[in-house]
Amino acid sequence: MFNFKKKEAQPSREKKQPKEKGNKLEIFDFSGDTAISVRDVDLYYGNFQALKKISLEIPKHQITAMIGPSGCGKSTLLKTLNRMNDLVEGCRVEGKIIIGGRDIYAKDTDLSALRKNVGMVFQKPNPFPMSVYDNICYAPRTFGIRAKSALDEIVERSLKQAAMWDELKDRLNKSALGLSGGQQQRLCIARALAVQPEIILMDEPTSALDPISTGKIEELCLSLRDKVTIVIVTHNMQQAARIADKTAFFLLGEMVEYGDTEQVFSAPKDKRCEDYITGRFG
Amino acid sequence: MIKINKTKVQDAFAKYIFIVCACMSIVAVFGIIGYILYASVPAFRDIGVFNFLFGTLWNHGLEDSDRWDITQIYGILPMFVNSIIVTVMSVVIGGAIAIFTACFMVFWCPDKFHLRYAGKNKAVAKFVAWFNKINLRSIFDQIIKLLAGIPSVIYGYFGLSVIVPILSAINGGNTGLGILACSLVLAIMILPTVASLTKNALEAVPEQYYEGALALGNTKAQAAFNVVVPAARSGIISALILGIGRAVGETMAVNMVSGGRALFPTGLFSFIRTLTTNIVMEMSEAKTGSTLESALFATGFVLLVLVLLINLSINLVPKEFKGKRGHKVLKGDANADIRFVKKGLVPEILKYVAIACGALIAFTLVYLIVFILVNGIPHITWNFLFGESTRTTPTLLPSFISTGYIILISLAIALPIGIGAAIYLSEYSKPGSKVVSVIRTFIDTLAGIPSIIFGLFGSLFFAGLLGGRCTLAGAFTMVLVILPTIIRSTEESLRAVPMSLREASYGLGAGKFRTIFKVVLPNAFAGIATATVLSIGRIVGESAALVYTAGMLRTTVPNALNPMNAAPTLTVFLYMCWAEPMAANPAMGVAEVGLNQAYATAVVLLVITAILNLLVYLIERHVKKKKG
Repeated sequence: MFNFKKKEAQPSREKKQPKEKGNKLEIFDFSGDTAISVRDVDLYYGNFQALKKISLEIPKHQITAMIGPSGCGKSTLLKTLNRMNDLVEGCRVEGKIIIGGRDIYAKDTDLSALRKNVGMVFQKPNPFPMSVYDNICYAPRTFGIRAKSALDEIVERSLKQAAMWDELKDRLNKSALGLSGGQQQRLCIARALAVQPEIILMDEPTSALDPISTGKIEELCLSLRDKVTIVIVTHNMQQAARIADKTAFFLLGEMVEYGDTEQVFSAPKDKRCEDYITGRFG
Repeated sequence: MIKINKTKVQDAFAKYIFIVCACMSIVAVFGIIGYILYASVPAFRDIGVFNFLFGTLWNHGLEDSDRWDITQIYGILPMFVNSIIVTVMSVVIGGAIAIFTACFMVFWCPDKFHLRYAGKNKAVAKFVAWFNKINLRSIFDQIIKLLAGIPSVIYGYFGLSVIVPILSAINGGNTGLGILACSLVLAIMILPTVASLTKNALEAVPEQYYEGALALGNTKAQAAFNVVVPAARSGIISALILGIGRAVGETMAVNMVSGGRALFPTGLFSFIRTLTTNIVMEMSEAKTGSTLESALFATGFVLLVLVLLINLSINLVPKEFKGKRGHKVLKGDANADIRFVKKGLVPEILKYVAIACGALIAFTLVYLIVFILVNGIPHITWNFLFGESTRTTPTLLPSFISTGYIILISLAIALPIGIGAAIYLSEYSKPGSKVVSVIRTFIDTLAGIPSIIFGLFGSLFFAGLLGGRCTLAGAFTMVLVILPTIIRSTEESLRAVPMSLREASYGLGAGKFRTIFKVVLPNAFAGIATATVLSIGRIVGESAALVYTAGMLRTTVPNALNPMNAAPTLTVFLYMCWAEPMAANPAMGVAEVGLNQAYATAVVLLVITAILNLLVYLIERHVKKKKG
């Protein structure tokens, strides 16, 4: 009898616990207006300092472009945002990067959860040597989704979001390697979308593509803007001007200028940024 | 005018010489297959193909008996079945361990130790600092290469004195020889081949696949086992097929732990005889021209066909992903329960399996080496190594001499032919040329032929030509064995010479001949040196091809000095230490004196193998340094 209360109390606690465990992937809270907040970040490759005291706030559901000459650290910074630079030997990060209310460089960070929420698209399209269907299902499957109906739903939704459904619905079973370069890259975006990330990082996603495919990817970015936050590194300044809401200019590991794209391109505050944008170097 | 003509003639002449060299491999393959088929015709004719292939009794001792007909006593079905069973078991065990080991080497083998030492003892601190500098990955690479280089007879002894006693204990004190022992020894032997080829396949998978999987939230283990390993599957399957080919063709080590009865297996510990061991066991009793001899050649022919079929099946492995069937109609359910949860226990478990396999391999090698050294070093004496050899107390000196002869003679023949063939393949071939692909197929075929087949061929052809088993016959046989290695390794290094160097030479007006000899070959020197060292290793480790060509006979130094006499090489001598007491009394096993000699010989062989491996490592490092 006197256990009764405890017994009643337990179920509610148990319910909470599995929920926490089950939702371990959703440890990030993206309700605020800022998606990513970078605070005083220094990054070293061995003894070489690749990033110097970078601080910036990336707003939610907008497109932020990072521009600058080669070797300025823009790709490096992008890779710190989902910790892909962990793969680089001798890479050390100081400072804080807050995503969804958490410091992602804290020791207890769950990399799977982080990368599920912060997807990435690479410079060269990298579809797996599997069918289109299996490529998109790859991440959902690793996150425990096995039901065919759910997977079908994800494939259809992701491909529709990536505006590829009509092109690909009849060749879902064909190898993804048989697609054109532009299609492969958009498939990679669809693949990243399959686990409903909050943020997608794009590392020069169009540098290996022709102008028409580039245009399609840019359109895609714009159409995704109300669902995900996009951070894009690009060599192509016109691209930044065309699609980005915010633009950050990097030089030699420093962030020289950051602001609304219009302002950065029409009235840059910093002389170096102006020189770059007007084509005096770079 | 005259000069130009001279160059032209030179170029044309050289081309034909290179073509002839390249065609040698075709001649060799056809020669071997044709000759063995020719020698087995009497058996097929007298015994009958059906009786031979599907007969269940093999006992040539009954030939004189009135109750048995010759068609009844030469059936190889039990041996065929045994070969298949042993191969399957060893590939399942060895292949799995090898694939996991390769995964360990590629994904989890740490580069360096990370030991910390807080104490003040300077010597210890220095040692720890030195210890931490060791490159673990390259050491593991070397471990696999060393395992691949150890002669198979040493594996036989390892099986006899380590694996068999353990199995015997498991079998409740009864014998540990038999089918399981064979499979385990073979598993260890095919492991390095499968592991290193799997490692190459895994490393050839583009880095982007791995990164792409990580960026989708995979753990490293998930990325490795869900993306990289499947992407490398065609390479892994090819590696397994090569492993199968090797297991089917392996002779000596299997012979030593098999028990030797030509019966169908009844359990894990039943004595067996495989196709290969049948040849090596009975060949010493076969008189020239007898039905037994022909039947053994017929066994060899069946084995050859089996191995060729296995090796050719590599070409059937699809290189690229082909679409899967299924998912034709999507039946997406908008209300489907899509809840992402963290999963993936299986890859994490596999990761620890991989690490355990890596540790197991390292332990096996270290144990094998320590075991041989501990048992062998006490018995190494000056007299045993270099003393006067007699029939009653043989020493290693005649074996050193015959091994040296075989190395020198076979390299002197195989190197020019091999390099010439490689030059033709890399310098004269057009991409996509049919001739070249045919030649290459034949080289691969030659490389895949088991050494016992070379031994059979050499024993009849070369030894017959030279009037009996002798060192020279062994050397000629080994030319065929090492030729593919030399061609391939040289061709690879020729292709690695940048095109721009050739263009520069042509641009200065040099002809093809001059360009090849003054520019291309010198730049490919490292590859040729590697090929030479590898060939020496192959010769030193070879036994099955030499037992019935160079001979298995105790001999004296003066006799061994004449290459027209028979003399055992080091590895054959090691095999004799087991085979002689066995021949005297099959129940006896290895006699104590023989065993001591065997371990001492094994130490010598291990040292030679280690030195050769070190040489290859140094050459490769030298090339890397030059490039980087």
